Amino acid sequence: MICVAMLALVAVAIPVGAQTKLKVWFAVSGDSGEAFKALLEKYKATNPDVALEYSYSGNYGDTATKVSAALISNTAPDVALMAAGPLYTGARNDYFIETKLNDADLNKDDIYPGVWDYAKYNGRICAVPYGISTPVLYYNKAILEKAGIDLKNPPKTWTEFLQIAKTAQAKGNVSGTPDFWGFDATDVAWLFKTMLYQNENTVISVKGTKISPAFNDEKGVEVADFWKKLTDEKVMPVGQHSNAEKKFLAGNLAFLVATSARIARWSKDPSLQIGAIPMPYFKRPSVALGGNVLVILSKDQKTKEAAWKLVKFLASKENQTTFALKTGYLPIRKSGLNLPEAKEAVTSNPMYAIAFDQLDTSWSYWHFEQMGTMDQLLAQAIDALERNVLTPKATLDKAANELQAEIDG
Amino acid sequence: MSKHLRSRYPFTTLFLFISAALMIFPFAWMLLSAFKTPADVYNYPPKWIPSSFKFTNFAEVFKKIPFIRFYANSIFVSVVQTVLQIWISAMGAFAFAKLDFPLKKKLFAFMQSSLFVPEIVTIIPLFLLAAIAGLVDTYTGLIVAELNCAFTTLLLLSFFQTIPNELIDAAKVDGCGYFRVFLKVILPNSKTAIGTASLFAFLTHWRSYMWPLIITNDVKMRTLPIGLKYLVTETGTEYQVLMAASLMAIVPVLVVYMFMEKEFVQSITLTGLKT
Repeated sequence: MICVAMLALVAVAIPVGAQTKLKVWFAVSGDSGEAFKALLEKYKATNPDVALEYSYSGNYGDTATKVSAALISNTAPDVALMAAGPLYTGARNDYFIETKLNDADLNKDDIYPGVWDYAKYNGRICAVPYGISTPVLYYNKAILEKAGIDLKNPPKTWTEFLQIAKTAQAKGNVSGTPDFWGFDATDVAWLFKTMLYQNENTVISVKGTKISPAFNDEKGVEVADFWKKLTDEKVMPVGQHSNAEKKFLAGNLAFLVATSARIARWSKDPSLQIGAIPMPYFKRPSVALGGNVLVILSKDQKTKEAAWKLVKFLASKENQTTFALKTGYLPIRKSGLNLPEAKEAVTSNPMYAIAFDQLDTSWSYWHFEQMGTMDQLLAQAIDALERNVLTPKATLDKAANELQAEIDG
Repeated sequence: MSKHLRSRYPFTTLFLFISAALMIFPFAWMLLSAFKTPADVYNYPPKWIPSSFKFTNFAEVFKKIPFIRFYANSIFVSVVQTVLQIWISAMGAFAFAKLDFPLKKKLFAFMQSSLFVPEIVTIIPLFLLAAIAGLVDTYTGLIVAELNCAFTTLLLLSFFQTIPNELIDAAKVDGCGYFRVFLKVILPNSKTAIGTASLFAFLTHWRSYMWPLIITNDVKMRTLPIGLKYLVTETGTEYQVLMAASLMAIVPVLVVYMFMEKEFVQSITLTGLKT
């Protein structure tokens, strides 16, 4: 009570002109948007010296366009929560965040190293990772029960998994539909990149600051061969990945790879009997990271400092973990997993444990301008592969050549 | 179509029925989905009729977004844009159709060429101009930059050309200047074309998404298409709520169409235009 009264007094004492104005844009809506807004409001209440203005800036693509336009016209926000953030800081040679990494309040080493890679441009950190997600392998409990599959010892490799998915498909058709499948993924490029890294392929190669595609080497082709096997043996439907989630939720698909951000949402629905197992792998366990980061776009030093204070607040152990658990994104700090609410989440919902454990082996390549194009080319290559338009080697070579041409401009 | 025509042209009738069904399908799907439960929405194979009609989806829309504010903004912005655009287009079309002035052909070609430039190409320079003029987060910024008059000018031009010059000459003899000719002769004789152009303009502005998103940061200034996007989230979309919001969003368009259907169809016949 006394604290609140003191805060109110401080707020009254600070004239509006003396406040630092901070503009924040965020590219998350729905529950995620509400959770982020709640944190901003919390900051506002405890920092009367800051005049905080915030707004939703559209989805990731829209926010990218909006930020691009705003940067040109000097109307950019001071802080943005967005995807591909390093392309708006590092790519403009703005490494302000890098100069702040030793700030004791940030506790940089508490954040998973793989997660930091997601905030780099040219190998240098220029953003703070925030709403991070990984692909998770979900399963339908009813299907597996009918098929007599016990996942107490889940499959470790993709080869072992393929056999289980086949059994689930052959014996677990609970809905009796002819359109029943063993396995599918919502985002094929994301899963393919995960598989590539698991097979010791780095997706891209970096020499100095020069980036070139590396997904079409021998190890990449091995992954493509396995992918083709999934469709050739009719465990996974050809070119119907946009319907995968719908099929899974309707009970017509045994296993689905989708974002970890679905955990919070699906767990709220008691009619969905869903579980998760660790992602199978080829040579080493690993999952590719996705999601959004915090960037500072202010121009003058004073505002940058104020923006940094806000970013630290948002990325603190308590606040980032709160955001993660409310939204389905993952805690990015090792210490966040020790918080009572995180422990409670893991105990009450084992799917969280699967997703959190995967963070230990998560990875990301540095951001580069053509990364969106690369995902599109990979998705097209996979489609050509599934439809037998090109051989695994030819389809990956084609995608790599097109990406290289795009990089070379 | 009468019974007589149906029996005389069975294939045409069948084709028209199929075309109509294709047009109606998304609307029917939206209407039914607005009342579905989440389980119905995710049912696969898709389920047409909701297992129980859930009216609370509509209440959810108002809980999740400031729907009334978005709605009011959309109506205000679209109506003002339509009125301004039609006024400017009609004056331009009159000048191109009935007056002679220097550089007329070049100006006309310039106006036509603007139709071939995609919005995404012009959006950043346009935003730059709007930001310099201090129009970010203002109704002026929302309205003025989207007055894309070229299409409606061409539409009205093709109609104005059919108005006999004798009518204009007669008005001039009676002492009318160009502006009074425009007001007293051209506009009253072009109600059908103006109605159609208004409908096209209103529809374009009503569903505009990118420019309102770029030019506004304050949630109070935002329009309905952005509001609907608030309901599409990264962690999964509640389609039944989105469909309820979409259903409410199309009401003004249906009202405008109901009032202008006759003019719309007539003008398509006259100008050969299609949406």
